[in-house]
Amino acid sequence: MSQHDRTHHATIATGKGDPQCFKGTAGPAKFKVGQTVRIKDLPDVFYTRCQVYTRGAVGEVAVVTHESPAPEDEAWGHVDHSEWFYIVRFKQKDLWPEYPAAFANDTLQTEFSERWLEAV
Amino acid sequence: MVEEVSDFEALEIAVRELAIEKGLFTAEDHRRFTEFAEHIGPTPAARMVAKAWLDPEYKKQCLTDAIKASLAVGVDWLNPTGFGTPSDYTDLRVLEDTPTLHHVVVCTLCSCYPRPILGFQPEWYRTPNYRRRLVRWPRPVLAEFGLQLPPEVEIRVEDSNQKCRFIVMPVRPAGTEGWTEDQLTEIVTRDCLIGVALPKPGMTTNIPLPVHKPAKPGHH
Repeated sequence: MSQHDRTHHATIATGKGDPQCFKGTAGPAKFKVGQTVRIKDLPDVFYTRCQVYTRGAVGEVAVVTHESPAPEDEAWGHVDHSEWFYIVRFKQKDLWPEYPAAFANDTLQTEFSERWLEAV
Repeated sequence: MVEEVSDFEALEIAVRELAIEKGLFTAEDHRRFTEFAEHIGPTPAARMVAKAWLDPEYKKQCLTDAIKASLAVGVDWLNPTGFGTPSDYTDLRVLEDTPTLHHVVVCTLCSCYPRPILGFQPEWYRTPNYRRRLVRWPRPVLAEFGLQLPPEVEIRVEDSNQKCRFIVMPVRPAGTEGWTEDQLTEIVTRDCLIGVALPKPGMTTNIPLPVHKPAKPGHH
């Protein structure tokens, strides 16, 4: 895409929905539900939707959600390459060292594109 | 979105906290009033939860294909406004609470929200205050909304940061046995669907606002 195309969403998602319009474009998913993964600490000079508080943390894949271009690409209009997305579940105490031990069962879930995950 | 707290907001918070400390009203009263003041009536998401409480097959559909299940409550995510193109991402997930698991939704990166089925976000949902603190201190933040849960209930924060949108399906409360879908819909308020409150019989967004008599009335 030579020019930044602000209408790609409207033209390809009409009648299908987004992320449904990217279904079948990412190939096989690399991770499966229940798998333990670590969040990579990749550079994010421009745009990302991978929260800093998750970097380096270890969690478990809770849901394999959908296929879509990663936000780091889509933000610049690059929609030719899709990835699988995963909701990962963390123990709160693995994210925040000061999280009270009395609430050791508490968890947090958030979503990542495949590039951010590595098998542990 | 305003990042700074204005003088008036600081004043409101100070007066509110003093009033709660003095017992004039509770944090839950305040939350309830805020919700009422923003005029959010029964939403399609409330009806979805009420239907799911009554129909196990529909509940299964909500948990596996919420976009399809939305059609039964009059929401077509591909055409939510009845015209034009999709106005939001279209991957809705329903988070099912159990007696030992409570979900609460936030978007730390902006204010992602299931608008076609739940309307616009309340103002507090968009504030950096809620977004920054809920992920790290969920229990103190929920306590500020008047919701305190015992340690045996796992609190699961859902940080909605990509194309999925979420609503919480609370546990059907005791005291609602034999209720109709309409009755159940009334008590599934917006805040219950975000996860900062639990549904209670008699607590809806449509009843006349109760007048709280001051615990320590002043003399005039």
